[in-house]
Amino acid sequence: MNERNERIYGVACTFRKPADVFHAAEKVRDAGWTRWDVHTPFPIHGMDQAMGLPRSKVPRLTLLGGVTGFITGCLLTWYMNSFDYPLIVGGKPYWSAIYPFPVMYECTILFAAFGTFFGQFILNRLPHHHHPLFELPNFARVSDDTFMVVLEANDPKFHVDESRNFLQSLGGQEITVIRD
Amino acid sequence: MSDSSSNLSSKWTTFLGLGVVALVAAWVLAFLGLGQHDHRPALSVLLGCLFWASLLIGMLMLTMITRVFDAGWAPVIRRNWEFMIGALPIVLLLGVVPLAFLPDFRHLLWEWTDAKHLLPSGHEVGHDPILQAKSWFLNEKFFLVRISLYVVFFGVLAWAMRRWSFKQDSDRTAGHTHTLHAFSAAGIPLSAVALTMLAFDCLMALSYHWFSTMYGVWFFALSIRLALAATVILTYRLSNGGWLDGILNQAHRHVLGCLMLAFTVFWAYISFSQYFLIYTANIPEETFWYNIREFNPVTGLKSEWWGVSMYLIFGFFLLPFLALLFYRSKIVPGRLLTIAIIIFVGGIVDLWFNAVPRQIVDKTAPEGFTVTPFLSGGLATDLLAIAGFGALVIGLFLRSSTKAETIPVHDPRILESINYHE
Repeated sequence: MNERNERIYGVACTFRKPADVFHAAEKVRDAGWTRWDVHTPFPIHGMDQAMGLPRSKVPRLTLLGGVTGFITGCLLTWYMNSFDYPLIVGGKPYWSAIYPFPVMYECTILFAAFGTFFGQFILNRLPHHHHPLFELPNFARVSDDTFMVVLEANDPKFHVDESRNFLQSLGGQEITVIRD
Repeated sequence: MSDSSSNLSSKWTTFLGLGVVALVAAWVLAFLGLGQHDHRPALSVLLGCLFWASLLIGMLMLTMITRVFDAGWAPVIRRNWEFMIGALPIVLLLGVVPLAFLPDFRHLLWEWTDAKHLLPSGHEVGHDPILQAKSWFLNEKFFLVRISLYVVFFGVLAWAMRRWSFKQDSDRTAGHTHTLHAFSAAGIPLSAVALTMLAFDCLMALSYHWFSTMYGVWFFALSIRLALAATVILTYRLSNGGWLDGILNQAHRHVLGCLMLAFTVFWAYISFSQYFLIYTANIPEETFWYNIREFNPVTGLKSEWWGVSMYLIFGFFLLPFLALLFYRSKIVPGRLLTIAIIIFVGGIVDLWFNAVPRQIVDKTAPEGFTVTPFLSGGLATDLLAIAGFGALVIGLFLRSSTKAETIPVHDPRILESINYHE
């Protein structure tokens, strides 16, 4: 297969120390990159800000799930006990906000959990059975003693040679072009 | 210590003076009420005392909980709790202790201690079979022993939490952290028992026919909510021209905000559970407590207390709950402060709801009794007593702050706490 037909995923570059990858991330952020990522063996405090990442959107989906669940709980208890088959239980009204509250509140929690769980699946684009980075021979080391910055080809700023030089200027060690 | 911080600490005499003046006024009103057989001014002193006792017990619990869990964020904030909790035994000694030990006040506030007191049923308390069955617990001697034990227990625990922590400032021994860890591990379950009993004796026994196993947990939830709200207000002030200037950061506010959210939900869960079980079981010996908080027994219509309960649901739970869901509410100082003030004020309303309504015998009323109104001059004496105890607590807090480093500089986790990160 010749090189022209092969899709390029991006350029990866390794670093030896957390401080190096941290400062490299700040420079990539300041250069205006949007499609890129950092891989580290352990969480580095402050990396979110160094990468310029916004806060996760998952809490919004949790809230949406919670509100949906609360309304579902209200409708469920109203439909069953007051509309479809009106039934007096324990001398309580057909429907009030009090006796079915455990149902409403459990539905809120259940749907909020669904919102969180499926929300993060969707936002993380999961399930994802394969990733081009897995082809990289030394990628396993980012779960051991290596730090990695990956600039992705779908970023508008991406150009193979320029990106390679840019990573070199950041003090990267091994620079590899990743093919899909 | 910077100039602004020492200026702040030197104001302790002013606060202490204001507190003493307000407390003397509240006690004078209580004695005047005694002459007219009016329990309301004495109840104000009890409420003022219990509001601050509850807040300080919450801070004592937070001190011990952060010790046991080795919370890395806590040391810079915990030192302020340690300054505060020194006032706990003094608050109890100036409020609930004299009210319980002076027989006239005791008979006026805790009706079960007055054998001649007339019940709405027309019987005297001394002949009440419900009281007789409970008399192994509700008898005056044991009651006074328990009240004394609360003061001794909380006093010793607060003293211990302060002593070894302050000692670390001078002798730099990391071992004091282990000592306090052990004290806290023993102190948490013992405090849980003590605060439950305190809530039973001082508040639940105001209406001795009624009982709820949730009551102690409710008091704990309220204590922690008040303690956290007061911590946010206090640290806001201290980080604007006090000893936390430049030290309190966004992550500290975030963790306090998260805890406020958690305990707002916990308070609602406990309060609703208590209501829900009584509502579902529908047993008259339990439901009367909520009935006098919803209906006017003379007209049968919803009373002022119903409005207070709605305020608790929407103003003390729903509003802070919805506001605290948002991340920015927990980190923007002004927003967090506003929510803390709402919770602080709501705590007073919650105490009103729990302590003030009681059945007052009235032969002309259809059911033989009326209920203490919500809107009355009593609210003003309540606020006077709360302000009096509050000024006293702040005065003692500022005085404590001159006795140790305002930042626990030799705590093994001090760097972790100062550099705390979300």
